[in-house]
Amino acid sequence: MKKDYQTHVFTCTYTADVSGVCSAMYELGGMTVLHDPSGCNSTYTTHDEPRWYDSDSLMFVSGLDEITAVMGDDTVLIKDVVQAAGDLHPRFITLCGASIPHIIAFDYKGVAHLIEEKCGIPVLPVPTDGLRSYVSGADMAFRAFVERFCDPSEYQRTKEKKINLLGVTPLDFSINGNVEALRKTFEEAGFEINVCMAMGDTFEQLTHAYRAGCNVVVSSAGRKTARFMKKRSGMPFVEGLPIGEAAAQTLLQAVEETLDDGLDRNPFVNISDAREKDPFPQGIVVIGEEVFSRSLAYAVNALPETGRYGQKAFAFWPDPDEGIAEQDLIHVMRSADTVIADPLYQVVQKPGAPEHFVRFPHEAYSGRIFRDQIPVFAGKEYQVCSLLSGR
Amino acid sequence: MKEYQLLKEIEYEYNADIGLSYASPVRGVWNIVHIGTLVPQSHEVFVCPTSCLRGVVLTTAELGAMDRLSTITVGEDNILEGDMEEALYRGTKRILEELPTRPRAMLIYTSCIHHFMAVNYQRIYKILRKEYPDIDFIDCYMDPIMRRTAPAVPSLWRQIHRLLKPTERRPDQVNLVGNCFPYGPYSDLNRMLEDAGIRVMDLNTCKNYDEFLEMAASCVNFTFHKTAARAAKDMKIRLGQEWIPMHCGYLYEKIDEDMAKAAETLGIPGICEEKIRTERKRTEEEIEKTREVLGDTPVSLDYTAVDCPLELAFFLHQKGFRVESVFIDVFTESREIFDQLKAAMPELKIYQSLGWNIRQMKRGHEGKIIAIGQKSAYFNDTDHFVNIVENDGMYGYLGIRRLMELIREAAQETKPMKQLVQIKGWGCSCG
Repeated sequence: MKKDYQTHVFTCTYTADVSGVCSAMYELGGMTVLHDPSGCNSTYTTHDEPRWYDSDSLMFVSGLDEITAVMGDDTVLIKDVVQAAGDLHPRFITLCGASIPHIIAFDYKGVAHLIEEKCGIPVLPVPTDGLRSYVSGADMAFRAFVERFCDPSEYQRTKEKKINLLGVTPLDFSINGNVEALRKTFEEAGFEINVCMAMGDTFEQLTHAYRAGCNVVVSSAGRKTARFMKKRSGMPFVEGLPIGEAAAQTLLQAVEETLDDGLDRNPFVNISDAREKDPFPQGIVVIGEEVFSRSLAYAVNALPETGRYGQKAFAFWPDPDEGIAEQDLIHVMRSADTVIADPLYQVVQKPGAPEHFVRFPHEAYSGRIFRDQIPVFAGKEYQVCSLLSGR
Repeated sequence: MKEYQLLKEIEYEYNADIGLSYASPVRGVWNIVHIGTLVPQSHEVFVCPTSCLRGVVLTTAELGAMDRLSTITVGEDNILEGDMEEALYRGTKRILEELPTRPRAMLIYTSCIHHFMAVNYQRIYKILRKEYPDIDFIDCYMDPIMRRTAPAVPSLWRQIHRLLKPTERRPDQVNLVGNCFPYGPYSDLNRMLEDAGIRVMDLNTCKNYDEFLEMAASCVNFTFHKTAARAAKDMKIRLGQEWIPMHCGYLYEKIDEDMAKAAETLGIPGICEEKIRTERKRTEEEIEKTREVLGDTPVSLDYTAVDCPLELAFFLHQKGFRVESVFIDVFTESREIFDQLKAAMPELKIYQSLGWNIRQMKRGHEGKIIAIGQKSAYFNDTDHFVNIVENDGMYGYLGIRRLMELIREAAQETKPMKQLVQIKGWGCSCG
């Protein structure tokens, strides 16, 4: 029987591609326009953007209405965007959208070109469709940025310990010190961070993304961008997140090797996908974004056997296009002995079930609800054993 | 371009469209999820693309009410294969099979994209009604693309009340329709109805679904907000219930007129001349007391707090308050009040709270300012504010006196504005 990815009786929704675009572009001095009737931008600013209240970054919704959509009248959007750009002077403009532009075959590339011609400001078309997760949207935005503003000829094969961090947004790392901890881990190991895409660095810095020796994809929101950069320039990439001492050591070693031989690596790729185990063994399941969940599961497995109660950890992540089939989720969670996941997943626990639930909030899932409980998990200093010590 | 215009520079246009918009962090106004959860023992199902689902799901999660909502995601396959009806049918059945408690009613919301997919949902609802005769299924809409002709909130109030079935009417029972908050101690209408022994029904106060269904037996529907008009019109046609719109404003004559009409329709004693004089006198005393407390302190107000912000600005100006600005995006009040205000206060600052230019305005105010409403508080960056949305159950002389009390309180005390205005659906506790 075909899996039902669509019906969610109990569980929440990961944030959508449009929020991923906005989050990726937030700090770069641009203006992001969501082509949509209404709602997408207030959802993003309320639930998915912890920087919104205290900054003045430019994110707007186009306010598409029925007649404009039916008539395919793009002049309304073009006029508004050109006028707003004239008032606000953004460094560049990003144009993305939700399901209605998708279904009426809105020409992102053509309209971006027209706006750019009228106002002389670079416009990046990012043809999201509102049907996929933030991973897809953020990745599309990063890739569009690199394609437009970064020069692949700047890449030179080097063993110099200079790297980029790709896929960094508050949706996966919040604003509680994770990014700083991530940087510190690499810097203390002697690496120079060329760019962190895209938190904490400026537009100008990011334009020199090709000046590194390799990319480190710390969330799957940077994966396609890394592949794109590889294709364009040959820059290799390593995928993984340093969570705790063991995972950090493994990842740092992999990065060194990649800088040395130019080959791509994913040191945590052998962590099993919990869905592939049938029946799922009574182990520990980590639910979350793919790179995070694989890396954390690896870190748990690196603990002494007593520290993980003799059990093995597995990863379980949503597909960026389809999400999670709730029945798979129920099956895995109710079979597991220990679940490490966002607190909103706890509703799936069978009442009175013996399993242990470790609350690990994720901004892209529960938004701002548990924001103050998100741990600083990135970096070698994170104590992975503390996760299971409360059992 | 500056972020505000002076009133004298603005031409009146009724309910103009906004276009490219900004969303401030102010989130107190209720959305359709909050309103839907008022129906007791019901379950909401949203059938939408991921980008639309995110907002409703997290609204519900923040209320701690995830057991009241399920979702069916629209996927690329549905668009390509045209099988959205099947997805809805299968999804709804699975939800009903897996929910621990069977709901009495199911509110199924479709979204903008369905208008473009030519989906025949009524056919599915018909099948579901046959298969689950003990559950009331009602079609609801989260389709902001239709906002010019069928805005989502008025449409939802209408659809919720379509759950009521025609029945024999009681002359001693009335409904208050379309309110986010119960009307009671600060409403002249409620006091008059209670004095006359009339049973007042309100979705807000219904303890269970059966009690809600009893609203069908009321003889009159009273509405305080324009967003309830569609529901009341529909109930008049379907259930034969009279509709009396009560103007939620500040003109004494209009209050007296509406109250007299309410009494006459119900055949109950109205408010006598002497009582009206007393009420007006007490209200004027409260206003004077408030004006003395505020002195020359300026006032700013916005459309999220009250239904008639222009009328309130005019009223306060007439009573000697120093009204400095109004945050309003579209004019839904009459041209008459707009013109009166323009003549009286041509220098009044009008801010578009959704306009793009306001995003980079320097929030704040030189010196103390009292804000009436969350948006004016946010943009003036003041902790001296009246924290209400949607009129907060205030109507008539009692309502004006209550508002004066809240203004004095705002002038004398501070509130943690940053925390309060970001709470979604202010005052909603989920039915």
